[in-house]
Amino acid sequence: MNFNADLVYSIIASTLRSSVPLILASLGGCFSMRAGVSDLGLEGMMLAGSFFSVLGSWISGSAWIGLLFGIVFGMLFSMLHAVMHITYRVNASISGMCVNLLATAATPLLLNEIFKMSGKSVTVEAFKKPNWEWLNQIPVLGRILGAQNVLFFLALLLVILGWIFLYKTKLGLRMRMVSENPHAASTVGLNVLGYKYFGVAMSGCFAGLGGAYLSLGQMNLFVENMTSGRGYIAVVINAFGKYNPIGTLGGSIFFGFFDALQTVFQSIFPSQLVMMMPYVFTLLVITFGLSGGKAPAGVGKHVE
Amino acid sequence: MLNNLESAKKMEVRNSFINSFLALVFSLLLGAIFIWVCGYSPIESYKAIIGVSLGTVKGFALSLSQATPLMFTGLSFALAYRVRMINTGAEGQLYAGAMAAALVGAYVHNLPSPIHILLAFGAAFIAGGLVALLVAAAKVYLKSNEITMTLMLNNIIILFTSYLANGPLKPAGSGVGQTERIDDSAKLMKLIPQTQLTIAIFVVIIVAVILQYILHKTVFGYEIKVTGLNLRGAYVAGINVGKTYLLTFALSGAVAGLGGAAMVLGVNYRFIEGFSSGYGFSGISIAALAAYSPIGVILSAFLIGILKAGTITLNRTTSIPVEFVDVIQVLVIIFVAAPTLIRAILNKFKKIKELTNKQKHGGEAI
Repeated sequence: MNFNADLVYSIIASTLRSSVPLILASLGGCFSMRAGVSDLGLEGMMLAGSFFSVLGSWISGSAWIGLLFGIVFGMLFSMLHAVMHITYRVNASISGMCVNLLATAATPLLLNEIFKMSGKSVTVEAFKKPNWEWLNQIPVLGRILGAQNVLFFLALLLVILGWIFLYKTKLGLRMRMVSENPHAASTVGLNVLGYKYFGVAMSGCFAGLGGAYLSLGQMNLFVENMTSGRGYIAVVINAFGKYNPIGTLGGSIFFGFFDALQTVFQSIFPSQLVMMMPYVFTLLVITFGLSGGKAPAGVGKHVE
Repeated sequence: MLNNLESAKKMEVRNSFINSFLALVFSLLLGAIFIWVCGYSPIESYKAIIGVSLGTVKGFALSLSQATPLMFTGLSFALAYRVRMINTGAEGQLYAGAMAAALVGAYVHNLPSPIHILLAFGAAFIAGGLVALLVAAAKVYLKSNEITMTLMLNNIIILFTSYLANGPLKPAGSGVGQTERIDDSAKLMKLIPQTQLTIAIFVVIIVAVILQYILHKTVFGYEIKVTGLNLRGAYVAGINVGKTYLLTFALSGAVAGLGGAAMVLGVNYRFIEGFSSGYGFSGISIAALAAYSPIGVILSAFLIGILKAGTITLNRTTSIPVEFVDVIQVLVIIFVAAPTLIRAILNKFKKIKELTNKQKHGGEAI
């Protein structure tokens, strides 16, 4: 293999491509953690998003309607987590795992019942690359960004908006107060449960969007268990990026890079060993590198 | 954390049997609605499932053999939960155990059968235990989160064993990822010919009895109980909490490893890539349904085994899809985890009943 410019371009472009679902899901994680609810359910919400977005696109014939389906169902799955943890006070790890398990169990079942297929769905209308002339004409960036999907730009926009919401608006400040000290927030008259529900709902929307990117952005069909642990990686990225949208953006691109390397090294090393890399790296990060990133103090606390 | 501990204490006091029973009934009811939506008769379907699983010898054997791996992973999750650690890593520990057992089974020769089997189980026990010990050590000494760690380890172990089965350990001429067939001396004895029911079922029952004994009759069991129910109390009482975490979690992983060995020695006779259909995660629902009691795990896994065997057999003659049982299992966790949810639903029904009664008796309509 010779390292030429083409290879570098393709690595950078595919880094960005594979970081999009991570960016979206970990952004969702920020909203959840910054409302004081742990975000272990991201995997399930993503998987639901990728299945239902295909379903939506299949029914309507439009990828955008599919995207909407993905967002809505991602949110519905997040509500299971919210109701169990916030209202019925189930341990957030258990309720998060419930969301994941439900999505893993329900999507093949629905695939079977609706599409009458197992393993993967029919191909549906998906997102195309934008093909903007002006973008392609920019010298270096054009080649990298021109290879991206519309959803990539949407994800970047959402990260910026999410950061502004969390750190520059009154609502965001209040939400962060709920996550740091729910008792104090409740004392000053904030609707603690409302903020928590809002945070979890947003996390479901973003995770659903991230799932939709997998099925409608990178491919044009649903494959059983297609998130393959990206939701869990997003949980780790979220801690890695200190629960800040800008930090998680950086973390996601970092992890996306490892994902991109896979495709390059697949021809030299056995594929399984290459696929292990991001997980090994994540594991090392969780084990040794997370002492700096403290979670908001009030995560998992309830108010009487 | 303290809040969780307090609510856990209350849960212990509450009659967990009624809880589990109600959870199962609610899940089956929701399942019935699902069956009905799919266009089958729920009563007929459940009748057929039970008829197949309990009415025939083969069905009964299938129920038990389907339940066996779930019993191992259920025990694994239940044990770790006794110190309030969440072992989402049973899937990975299962694969590690299976690979260890397959290696001992295929590459150690000329041993008497019982010793060969014991050795294979021992290797699986150690493999699963070491994987879990690693996680527990990171939790105790580096304050890492065991859930994210085990989830990453699952992927790593599954991919690594798959690499082994596709690369260095692949027998010549094999098309799929698998290892060499184990020796006959390592195979578990079949209890009923032409079924998958082997003496593994006795192994898992013995493990459950031992765990029950440890939890209720030994000092170590007492330390587990105190650490799980009242962490501060454990520190005050001078219990070495770190050691308790390490040992309990390692033991939990070891039990999951045994489950992998049971699959290799009793069912597949070799390590096959991707042999587990999420047994590790099913263990969560089994343990929750059993209220984290070892003996209860055996019973609740058997119940799920009945459902699985029934749907598998019926599925051949086109009926309810097998994944249906997976959904039931998740519903079970949801209802067991949230006893207050069941009570809220029951209260709502009561209110509706009272309301309709009032209207019937000419009371004021609200």
